[in-house]
Formats: sequence, C-alpha cells, structure tokens
Amino acid sequence: MLKTLIRRELLDNLMTSRFAAVLLITLLLVVANTVVLIQDYEQRLESYNGAIRTHYQELRAAKTYSTMAILVDRAPNPLSIFNVGLDKRLGNLVGIYHGFMPTLWNAQMHGTDNPFIAFFSLIDIVFIFEVVLSLMGLIFAYDAIAGERERGTLRLVLAQPIGRGQILLAKYISAMACLLVPLILSLLFALLLLMRSIPLSTADFLRIAGIVFASFAYLSLFYLIGLLISVATRRTGTALMLAMFVWGFLILVYPNLIRATVNPGGDIQARTKIVEDQIQQILDEYERERQKFLEKEGIAGETSEFSKALGLHSYAFVDPVTLMSYVENISLISEIHPEFEQYAPSAKRYYNFVEPLSARTVEKTWHIRKQALDEIYVRQAETDRVLLKFSPVGVYDAATQAWAGTDLEGVRDFFSTARRYRKAVIDYLYAKEAFSSREWFIADKGAVDWSTLPQFTFERSTVGTNAKRALPDMFLLLICNLALFMLIVLIFMKSEV
Amino acid sequence: MWHITKREIYDNLNSLRFALTTVLLLALMLTNAIVHLREHPNRVEKYNKAVTAYQNRLASYANESLYLLAQQGPGDLHKKPSPLHFCAEGGDSFLSGTVNAGDPFGYSEDMTGVWKLSYPSVTPNLENVRPDAIKLDWGFIIGYVLSLVALLFTFDIISGERERGTLRLMLANAIPRHTVLIGKFLGALISVSIPFMLSVLMNLLVISTASNLHLNAEAWGRLGIIFFISILYMSLFLVLGLLVSTRVRQSAVSLVVLLLVWVTLVVFMPNTLASMTGEFSPSMLSGEFWKRYRQLHQELDEKYEDRVWTDESDTKTLTARSEYFAKHAALDERLNEDRLSLQIDQFRHARSIIRVSPVTIVQHLLESFAGTGFERHLQFVENTQRYALQFREFIVDADRADPESLHLIGVREGMSEKPVSPKSVPKFEDTLNLNEDFNTTAMELLLLVLFVMVLMSAAYLAFVRVEV
Repeated sequence: MLKTLIRRELLDNLMTSRFAAVLLITLLLVVANTVVLIQDYEQRLESYNGAIRTHYQELRAAKTYSTMAILVDRAPNPLSIFNVGLDKRLGNLVGIYHGFMPTLWNAQMHGTDNPFIAFFSLIDIVFIFEVVLSLMGLIFAYDAIAGERERGTLRLVLAQPIGRGQILLAKYISAMACLLVPLILSLLFALLLLMRSIPLSTADFLRIAGIVFASFAYLSLFYLIGLLISVATRRTGTALMLAMFVWGFLILVYPNLIRATVNPGGDIQARTKIVEDQIQQILDEYERERQKFLEKEGIAGETSEFSKALGLHSYAFVDPVTLMSYVENISLISEIHPEFEQYAPSAKRYYNFVEPLSARTVEKTWHIRKQALDEIYVRQAETDRVLLKFSPVGVYDAATQAWAGTDLEGVRDFFSTARRYRKAVIDYLYAKEAFSSREWFIADKGAVDWSTLPQFTFERSTVGTNAKRALPDMFLLLICNLALFMLIVLIFMKSEV
Repeated sequence: MWHITKREIYDNLNSLRFALTTVLLLALMLTNAIVHLREHPNRVEKYNKAVTAYQNRLASYANESLYLLAQQGPGDLHKKPSPLHFCAEGGDSFLSGTVNAGDPFGYSEDMTGVWKLSYPSVTPNLENVRPDAIKLDWGFIIGYVLSLVALLFTFDIISGERERGTLRLMLANAIPRHTVLIGKFLGALISVSIPFMLSVLMNLLVISTASNLHLNAEAWGRLGIIFFISILYMSLFLVLGLLVSTRVRQSAVSLVVLLLVWVTLVVFMPNTLASMTGEFSPSMLSGEFWKRYRQLHQELDEKYEDRVWTDESDTKTLTARSEYFAKHAALDERLNEDRLSLQIDQFRHARSIIRVSPVTIVQHLLESFAGTGFERHLQFVENTQRYALQFREFIVDADRADPESLHLIGVREGMSEKPVSPKSVPKFEDTLNLNEDFNTTAMELLLLVLFVMVLMSAAYLAFVRVEV
C-alpha cells in the first residue's frame, strides 16, 4: 500500500510544470554561476602564485638577518566555489617576524584591482541552494494535504486501511525523491565544470559529500515546514500565502534584520584600552631591560655613537585597535664605517641580548592579546552567528562553511600555522646562532644564505576536523527535521478530514 | 470599472496576505528608522570633525606662509553624508569618503614637491569576522520585499477568478475586457500601496521626530520622488503578475512561474551578470599601473636631473625646480585620474549591462535621489577636482600680489613666504546637485516606464485574446 501511494505521489509531482520550471531554473543558475566562480577562483589563484614569487624574491634580496622579510600567503580555497564564507573577505598575507605575532587581524590582502567591482557580490552555489531549494521545498509541500482535503481525495485515501503516519511518510519520500533531482543534477554539472579546471582531492570530494548532505537536510526542512502549513490549514490558498510569507521572512528578512539590529559593540574601546595598557607595561619593561643592557655596555642613548654607527632604530609599540605589539631593532646601514668597527663586538652582544628578549616579550603579550581578541571580536561574531541560526539559512550556511573550510575556524587554522612557522623560524635562527652573528646587522662579509630556511606549508584541516566542526549544525538540522516531522504527524492524527 | 477596483480592494483588505504584508513592511521600515537614528548622528559627527580638522590644518599653514600652503595643499577633502542615507546605503563601504589633496613627494625639507590629488580606495575591512549583511535600507525593502509582495497580490488576480468561475460571470456583463484589466490593476495597486504608504509614513514619522536630524524642503522633495519611483517599480511587478496570471490557467502554476522569474530577475541576475562583465573588460592591473608610473617618472627625472639637483640657488635652478615640481605633481595626478577613469568605465559597463534587471534600476534611482552611491561619489570627485583648480588659482593670485616674490610656485626661495589670511583661502564645500541627478537618471526612469508599458500592453493583448 505504501508503495502504491509513493508511486502515485511521485508521478503526480514529476509530471507537473512546476517540477520542469524548478529543474530548469536551478540548472541554469548553478551552471552560469559556477562558470563565473571558477573564473574568479582562477584569478585569485593567479594572484596568489604571483604573490608567492614576489615574496620569495623579496626574501632573497634581504642581505642581513635583521632586514629579513618573510611573508606567507594563504591560497584560495577551491571549495569556496560552494560556499565562499570568509575566504575572500579576510586577509591572505601576513608577515613572519620574531618581534611580532601574526594573527588574522594583522593580515593584508593581495592587491585587488578595481575596488568598485566589490559592489557586485559573487553568488556561490550554496547561496543559490539557500534561495531556490527552500522555495522548491515549500512549493512542493503547500498543497500536499490541503490540496487533497479541498479536492476531497484525502477522505478516500483515509478510508483505506492505512495509517495516517504512512500517508505522510509516502508524501515525504516521494517529494524528496523529486526534489533531489534538481539538486543532484545541478551539482553534477557544477562538479563536471569544476573538475575540468581545478584538481580536487579525495578529501575534497568527501567535503563536497558533506555539503550535499547538508543541502539535503536543509531542503527536507523546508519541505517539512511547507507540510506543516499544509496540514494546519484548510485551504490551499491560505497555505500558499502563509508559505510564501514564511519563506520571505526566513530567507530574505530575518537574516538581514537581525544583523542590522544587533548593535556592534558594548564598550569595545574601554575593553581594548585596558588590554592596551597591560601590553604597554610589558613593552615598557622590555624597554627598561634594553636600556639597562645598553648602560651596562656603556653604549646607552638614542643619539650615541653606537646607535649612529649601526644606523640603529628601535621600536616597541602596541596598536590600539588590533592590540598588535611590534618590537623591532633594525640596522639601516649596508656597511660599517672603518672608524666604527670598534662597535662591532658590542653590536653582536646587543643583538644577541635584545632579539631573543623581543621574541619573549611578544610571546608574553600574546597571552593577554589572544584572550582579548577572542573576547572582543570573536565572541561578537559568534553571537551574530548564533542569532542567525534561528533561521534554517543560518544553520545551513554555517554547516556548509564548516565543510568547505571557509568558516572562521578554517581561516584561523592558517594563522595558527603561521604562528607555528614563526616559532620554527626562531628555532632556525637559534640553531644558526644568527642573533650573535655579524650577518645579523651587516652584510659586508657576504649576504645571508636563505636556502636552508624552513619552508612554510599550509595544509587545510583534514576532513575529520571539518566534519567535527560541521557536526553541531548538521545535528541541529537533523533534529529540526525530526521534530517537525513528529509535530506534523501529531497534528495530522488529530485533525478532522 | 470603479466597481471592479472597489471589489478588488475590499477582497484584499480582508485577506491574510494584506495583514501579513502590513506587519512585515511595518517591522522593516521601523527597524530601518531605528538603525538610522542610531547610526546617522555618528556619521555626521565624524564628517564635522573631519571638516574642522581640515579647516584647522588649512588655517595653520596659511598663518605660516603661502609657500607652505602651496606645498602642502588643502589636505583630505571629505564627502558630505546625505541626510537620506536611510533610503539607499549605496555601497558606502566600497566608496571612499575622502579624496586626498596633499601629500607632496619629497626627499628632504628643501626638496619637497607640491601637492597633488589622489583617490584613495577603501581597503576592505579585513579585521571584520562578523557575518556579512545587506543594509536594511529602502532600496532593499522596495527592491526585494515590495516586489515579492506585489507578485503575491497579483498571481491569482485573473487565474483565481477563472478557477472559481467568476470571471465568466463578470465578462457576461457589458464591461469591456480592458476595463476589467485596468480595474483589477488599480485595485491591486491601491491594496499594496496602503500598507506600503503606512509603513513609509511610520518610518518618516520616527525619523523626523529626532531633534538632531533635520530634513529640509529639498530632502522632502527627494523623498516624494523616491516614493513615486517605488510606486512605479511596484506597478511593474503588479503588471508582471497580471500578465502571467492571464496566461496561466492555474493560480498555483502562475505563482511558481512568477517566483522563479522573481528569483532570477531580482536575486541572481544583477550579481552574476556584473561579475561576468568584470571578466570581459578588465581594468588596469596594479602591476601595469606601477610599471607605467615608474617609466613616466623616470623619463621626467632624466629630463630634469642635472638642472634640479644642484646646490646652487640661482633663478635658473629655481625655475627648473618649480617646473619640475609642477610637472611631477601633474604627472601623478594624471596617472591617478587615468586609473580612476578606467575603474569607473569598467564599473559603468557592468552597471549598464545589469540594467536588464529592474531591481538594479530602482536601487540606482534611489541612490541618485538619496544622494548616495556611485554617481554621487563621482559628483564628489568632480567637486574636488574643481576645487583643486580653484585652489591652485588662488595660490598664483596670492603670490602675484606679493612684489618680493619671484613667482616660482613650489620653491621656497622663489615664492612669497608671507602668511595669508585664512579667510581668503578658498574652502572646499561638498554639494549635491539635483539637476545633474535628473540628467543621469532620466534614462533609467524612462527605461522603467518602458518596462511597465510593454508588460501592460502584453497583459492587455493576452487578456483580450484569452478564452474564459
């Protein structure tokens, strides 16, 4: 009996013009946008490769250790085609230096050529699904029960020896089978286009499978919302109106409304000021120790012969917005004047003392800064995301971002790798005894050999990590599905025909 | 005809969709007003502070000497925020609020050139980890929500009656079909306008009660035009609904078709098409720009090298120096301008293509009349360029008034070092010109009207020939 019902529903759904229209529109939108997205990705990749080459040359051009300019770049994520998330918006270029802690708040962007073009946003595949799949789900569901009730066929069906739950199940299964066709077909087209130009790994395919699964759950959620409306209303006209307004509210209005009304803020400035002062104290302590050392060596003072001989510039400051602390001692001369040669041993001792000290100082400030950044910036973003999750769009968006690795965590992975790389560079400098070497500040005995410097590599997080990050949202989607289904069954059981 | 209109309105007033629309539009418009009240004072305060800083800077240089004024220039020029910012946000986050008229190049204190105009671009806010949001301005409410509502009011306007069989009854009376069509259109127009008007009035009421935001007569005039445009845009979608509703037999199918058309037209087409055109007409790449920059500067430097960089300070050297500084600044300015105009061309190209989507037209129109957005930005840039000319003329004139000066602008020994009265220095004031708005937007208004006319006649033809 269930089989008969499913077959009938399936035929009913497949032979309608709405199915054809939905299929056509989804395919058209996905294919057109995928072409544009692939072009955009390739452009970003090109810009990334260019940046890597430039930065490599820049590093080679540094003759002394103290003028080293290590810049690391974040490659564009190929899965940003599915959900661009924060991949394009956050910085993709950060410096590695022992007197500075690289974070996403200090990153920069490879040059973009026309700032006005940012006016038009790129539409990723998940966005198309967000809008079109939800609409599809509601359109297929609104008359599922109400329509039969109006036509009087519901009475006939219920006269058969068949449970009400089974009728709902049959309707659900057949409608989902229909709705999956445009979803799967359009994804197949997108994948075909994708594989022609971008190599994807097995892990990427698993992530895409995760995205497909999330899309499926999202689609089913909207179908169930439509079914709930259909069960609860007597007339199809009312059901349709309600469904459309629910759609407009959940997709169009709520996400933008909530982001417009949530006040960015509290008192950020007061909070940052406190932390800034704490960091400033640590920097002051650094400065005191540095001065003490200079006095002990008998070479104190900014305008002393020693400073002039080396062209020494010493900075230690904290940025009030991003709380970045930056400590630098730099020698701005290319060769030492013979009459200043006497200062060379002091200089070696000075740098050997001050550079490890600045690395330690920055690490000390990092402990305070990390916590403050989390409290001030990350927590607010998290609150926003939680509020967005009251609409299924927010949950779906978060889940697919986590699968694609374009969420905040995915981007932060890059910066924690950059911080580990900073540590590796410092270790390398220690191993080379670079701090106490003459090549630290002067290149007259030959330039530094950079070929043994450890290479920076960044691997995106494993599929397991992606899955773990996506899990809460996936779970939420499934629970919502289940709860809605139960609710529908309950209402349907109780309703008069 | 009035009977039909009246019946249509009564029908709608009692319906669920009318109630839901009213609630939705009211909520959106009130949020818009509250957000505006919260944010606009900050914007104005920031602008006022920047202007004060600009004037102080100008005054301090003027009190010092004319030479310094000629060298340092007027500094940052700021875009005046529009009081109608709540109507259209206009991509504020992508458009820079300043043009820089200062920043002379220089090697040392004596060897400093003269100021030039440069157009800083906004670097995207890389620190922002919060989710992206569309600004909840009138552009969004009208462009997206109102158009959707218009479709929801008209999808069953003919097909519904046909399904119920009442269409046959109505046409059996001695009423011409076009009267029926127009009557129904007017009915739908008035029924959607009621909640829209209500929400707009509430919005303006909230905004105008705030004491620190003044809307002058001109602003109200602009608001009137914006309201008229919204009604025109709304009727476009009403007519579209009418057309599909006459052609399609079932109202459910009619709605599905309309929604899919709406999604494509409003949500996807603008961005996808614009991104495509971005690929076809690339602007000058950064690398290319800097290559050209270096090349031209090298040529200029080679020409003047031996005449400018000497320790002598005879008239010949000073003349060469003054000439060199002026040419250096002019070259920088020209390069900046070329680059800007290429970017503008690319943007305009993209914008003209996406005019096929009515939502772009209406948002563009709203931006123009609200005094925000891209065209306004260009007006601001033009204002600064005009001011730059005026400022340069003032420097020459003021220098000419000093008999001791050699009239070699930009060189310390060659020009007047007397202080000038800060009052006499021309001040930059950013203005908005409605006439110009009309010129740039007339075309788009016409396009919108044309869309409505074409769809209206299509609906008429379809309805006249349709079997009941």
